[in-house]
Amino acid sequence: MNSFHLGPSRAISRRMLLRGAGALIGLPLLEAMMPAFAASTPTPKPPRRMVAIVTNMGIMPQFFFPEKSGKDYETTPYLAKLAAHRTNLSVFSGLSHPGVAGGHQADRCFLTGAPHPERGGFRNTISLDQYAAEHIGTETRYPSLALAMSNEGGPTLSYTRSGAPISPDKSPRKLFEKLFVRGNADEVAASVEALRQGRSMLDFVSDQSKRLNRSLSAEDQRRMDQYFTSVRELEQRLHNAEAWQHSPKPSVKAAPPEELDDAKEFVRRTKLTLDVAKLALETDSTRLITLYIDTTVLHNITHHGNRPEVVAELRAKEEAQLDVLNGFLNQLTVTPEQNQTLLDRTMVLYGSHMGSANSHSNINLPVLLAGGGFRHGVHLAFDRTNNYPLANLHISMLQRLGIETHEFSTGKTRMRGLELA
Amino acid sequence: MSTRPSVLRRPALVAALCLAALTQAGEPFLREHCIECHDAETRKGDLDLTAFKADLANSENLARWVKIHDRIENGEMPPKKKSRPPADLKVAYLTELSGRLTIADRLRLTESGRAGVRRLTRAEYENNLRDLLGLPGLSLQNNLPSDGSAHGFDKNNDALDISHVNLEKYMETADLALDMAIATRPTAPPCEKVRLTLAGNYEPNIMIMQGDAMLLRQGKPDPAFPPCGAHPHLNQGVHESMGLFTQGSSTGIFRTEDESWHAYFKRFAALYPGRYHVRASVWSMQWDKGTVRPSRGIEAARLSVVQFSENGRFGQPASYVVGYFDAPSLTPQIHDLDVWLNFKETIGFNPASLAHVELYSIGKYGPKLRTMGFTGPCVVSDWIEIEGPFHDTWPTVAHRRLFGTLLVSEFIPKDHPGIRAPVRPRLKQEIIGSNNQPQEPKGIWTVFSPSPLEDADQLLGDFLPKAFRRPVDEATRRQYVEQVSARIKAGDCFELAMRSAYRAALCSPDFLYLIEPADKLDDHALASRLASFLWNSRPDEALITLAGQAKLRDATVLDENVERLLRDPKSQRFVEDFLGQWLKLRQIGSNDPDKKLYPEFSPYLQDSMVSETRAFFREMLDQNLDATHLVKSDFAMLNEKLAVHYGINGVNGPSIRRVTLPVGHVRGPFLTQAAVLKITANGTTTSPVVRGAFVMSRLLGKPPDPPPANVPAVEPDVRGATTIRELLAKHRNDQTCATCHAKIDPPGFALESFDVIGGQRKRYRALDLGDDAPRGSIDPLIKIQFKLGPSVDPSGNLLGEPAFHSITELQDQLAQNQPLLLTNLAHQLLVYSLGRELGFSERLALQKIVSRTQKQGGGLRTLIHEVVRSPLFLTR
Repeated sequence: MNSFHLGPSRAISRRMLLRGAGALIGLPLLEAMMPAFAASTPTPKPPRRMVAIVTNMGIMPQFFFPEKSGKDYETTPYLAKLAAHRTNLSVFSGLSHPGVAGGHQADRCFLTGAPHPERGGFRNTISLDQYAAEHIGTETRYPSLALAMSNEGGPTLSYTRSGAPISPDKSPRKLFEKLFVRGNADEVAASVEALRQGRSMLDFVSDQSKRLNRSLSAEDQRRMDQYFTSVRELEQRLHNAEAWQHSPKPSVKAAPPEELDDAKEFVRRTKLTLDVAKLALETDSTRLITLYIDTTVLHNITHHGNRPEVVAELRAKEEAQLDVLNGFLNQLTVTPEQNQTLLDRTMVLYGSHMGSANSHSNINLPVLLAGGGFRHGVHLAFDRTNNYPLANLHISMLQRLGIETHEFSTGKTRMRGLELA
Repeated sequence: MSTRPSVLRRPALVAALCLAALTQAGEPFLREHCIECHDAETRKGDLDLTAFKADLANSENLARWVKIHDRIENGEMPPKKKSRPPADLKVAYLTELSGRLTIADRLRLTESGRAGVRRLTRAEYENNLRDLLGLPGLSLQNNLPSDGSAHGFDKNNDALDISHVNLEKYMETADLALDMAIATRPTAPPCEKVRLTLAGNYEPNIMIMQGDAMLLRQGKPDPAFPPCGAHPHLNQGVHESMGLFTQGSSTGIFRTEDESWHAYFKRFAALYPGRYHVRASVWSMQWDKGTVRPSRGIEAARLSVVQFSENGRFGQPASYVVGYFDAPSLTPQIHDLDVWLNFKETIGFNPASLAHVELYSIGKYGPKLRTMGFTGPCVVSDWIEIEGPFHDTWPTVAHRRLFGTLLVSEFIPKDHPGIRAPVRPRLKQEIIGSNNQPQEPKGIWTVFSPSPLEDADQLLGDFLPKAFRRPVDEATRRQYVEQVSARIKAGDCFELAMRSAYRAALCSPDFLYLIEPADKLDDHALASRLASFLWNSRPDEALITLAGQAKLRDATVLDENVERLLRDPKSQRFVEDFLGQWLKLRQIGSNDPDKKLYPEFSPYLQDSMVSETRAFFREMLDQNLDATHLVKSDFAMLNEKLAVHYGINGVNGPSIRRVTLPVGHVRGPFLTQAAVLKITANGTTTSPVVRGAFVMSRLLGKPPDPPPANVPAVEPDVRGATTIRELLAKHRNDQTCATCHAKIDPPGFALESFDVIGGQRKRYRALDLGDDAPRGSIDPLIKIQFKLGPSVDPSGNLLGEPAFHSITELQDQLAQNQPLLLTNLAHQLLVYSLGRELGFSERLALQKIVSRTQKQGGGLRTLIHEVVRSPLFLTR
């Protein structure tokens, strides 16, 4: 593999390269196209990424979970939809967030694990993607993307550290424009200016700590080093963010998606959203995406009370959603990246905050993880009466993104049995 | 600057010289009494003295030798079964050993132990900015990553790391604080008063339609909208358009807050942050199928602050509780309170003292009569008034701290070509259903300066020493002024240029770190230490002035200031922060009592528990009570909810007050407070091990060793067949476990007399097996599904003490050891206030604090004075 090492201002833009190659899209992300300022090691690997998807009306457990654990688990009607990816995904049973209840209200905790959304005084905590974005966000133009397929309000999976919801992008078309059409010059200038001032301030406080250091003991100077390092790291990040403002947005061959407003068209709209999400990953516009699939139109039939005809209707809707997921995984698989595929570098978490929508339960959540570089192909069965913390999976995912943490939310360790590839 | 004696510069060498002989396996005392079990072959307790390196410069070795010292001193080693050393030999050996350990520990502390720089905790950061800017309602903590904890407290250098994530958040929060501080208009926003009813808001309207609430006029059902009978009222929209909900009727509520029901006065949502005056008129009654009767006593109305997110459409539980207020029988009581409201906040309401009922589902599943078929208590909200924001001055104190007396005027762009003005987002009422609207002046208003650099110099000269908690030299101030100058040259208006300097100051290490010079603290470091200890914040002007005059180290001045700080309401921050960590009160909500086993549990009970513990500590502080109150007390701090929970009669209403207890009553002290008992249980079961360990480490100051790896915890069983004690017995009979558990478990055995929510019990509650449970003090509207299982055995014996048979006997035994309790309390306060663990060599100083306190009666307030006076506090 060729490796270029370029100065900060001379990174090869993706567009330049694509033009030279005579194609507009479909090329793997080359090392040198990672902006040179982001590349701190001489031979960077393609980045690690994460997509987290929740469907908010649950997934019928009887069609999702296998009985047998391990590699040779029997397939189930829903998993059969993803048969092509069996060796590149793991399915989990017996997972939930301890203390998270409240039926529908648990949606806001799927990626945060904050207990008791149903209760007075509830304040959410930081979501998995935002936690990751704090560490790796500035390496891309958008630190993260919070997406929703919804007609009502702005449901989201992404929450800031103070527990504030992050408004999602709901329109695939507007998302496409945001990603691939250059913004208004004044706005760009304003963000560049803000970033520059931030950096200049960091220069200043770093000088201040040098002054301070002169009066400190050697031991205290070592302690202050941590502050120094933080300043330098943040400076680097702001520098990266500024460089993104200057570098042109990638262009893609795909046409902007159509606008669809019909709530009943949620399957097609989900597909359109995921199509743009895939472009965002491929162009390295972001490495962290959440998608809230709002299928509230199905609410009535999720309370099926086991009437066969209603169950059949719901099953068809849920299968259609899994078909869309399968299509997304297919797309990631056919996109090569170095000697791997985009899916190999992208964790795709799919699940729901309700174990059974029929009873509004928030335990035994249906969850699967595809791609991203794990030893997949297994059904990891945890205790269905005494659930295993879902946040442990979150920790495994954070570690896979290169973030050294051993604690996240109610998780205290990485997931038992989920091994790196 | 360091003034260490030169010999201390070669710690390894000195330590080796001093200690080698004493700690060699060949040393006569060790050879005679220890080696038999602790040699390479037997290795009891995984300790092999023959292979143990004498090098005490290694801090792990030192810690291990300290433990050996303590075991011998306590008489735990050599064990009873073996021959004991004669007392004089033991004392001689220990004296020698402790002398050497002290030297080694001093070396360790001098070389690396004492931190001179420590980052502010989240709470300190928030309080610093609140007090610096005079903005008591500034809410920043939740925007910052959480801090770690070491030796039980977060104020510890080892726990307070910093990364680029923290720093980025500091930049954001500095902007948030400055946004709130800087005046953007020439005159104060108008102070307005609104009177609101609960009815007329979407959620209460639904409850009224369904039957979980009702409208009242003049203390009777509102004839215009009678209470629900067999059927709900239909057509909410029609009723709303007829104005039935908004004609000022009172709202009586039967149903307490739950996952799908939160009541609040949403027709107002604050636009301007500031101090608001809130008046609420509430009362209670006994509703009897259509008739209003006197209520059973004083009910509790909870008022809270609710912050809406986005446009407020999806409802919102309370952000924090303001308080629980008396709702007396039939006669309305008006409560006056001052509340700080931020953007998008309003007041929430909950009939907190009621048992949870859902009358609409009585209609659904039971006798189909909803409100009209129900008999039970009801809390009524007549109205609430919200008036504000109040500003004592305009521009605000916060603005003046940044811009002095400079005037705010309109920025007219054509008059200032090429100058960048601040961007002001347009203020909008974003909450759907809230009627109050912004009244904003046209144009951009900002502060102007006729001579920017001179003003900058003066303003920063004023601000920086306040922010940095110590004098700032001219060179540093100039650097900040140069920042302003550079921004002005770059085209920023005065406000923006100053903002950049203020933001830099708030992200600089001078603000973010407490910086203490080596050895004796200078006056400013002392002022900071004091304020951080007793206010969890920055020193105020009075402390800074005293520090500037170098008067603070004067013993009388110091005493006076400790008193002053403790009398100030800001000392409540110390009470809450210290108890949050010492007794782990922060974890009060970390598990939920099982709903079937503990149906009487409610958020009101939990909040009351926390209030009890805080009030008890406050009482100890104010009355200067001694440390036996950790385990035994002749009074308790209670409200009606807790009194009923504890089986004590004659306490009415939600406010916490001092209640004298009969002689020998178990309640009162931290040991038997419901908060502590809940925190040390898991919501379903109790474990003598967990509670025993809590008592040992938090109350007695003898933390047990952590459990060995690979030993599974005992799995409790709530079916009702076996008790935790029976399960533990097996574990305890194992020789390797027995030694430690003999020390850990006994206090936990006595505490088995209390269930997971701190109720006293003689028998365990069980789900499957057992006898029917009597109702006791449980509210008649609560369904009882649990059974009474096996009996509790609260007996045990503390190491070296006679057996106890009940919690009372344990309390008596523990209370006899007042020096131990006091030493522990002193130790906890020192670790908290110094931000580090004490070393072996500092035990003497600790003992001195304890004995001086003892001589003055042993009170908590005295103890705090003695802590502050001690060389430990006055020296870094």
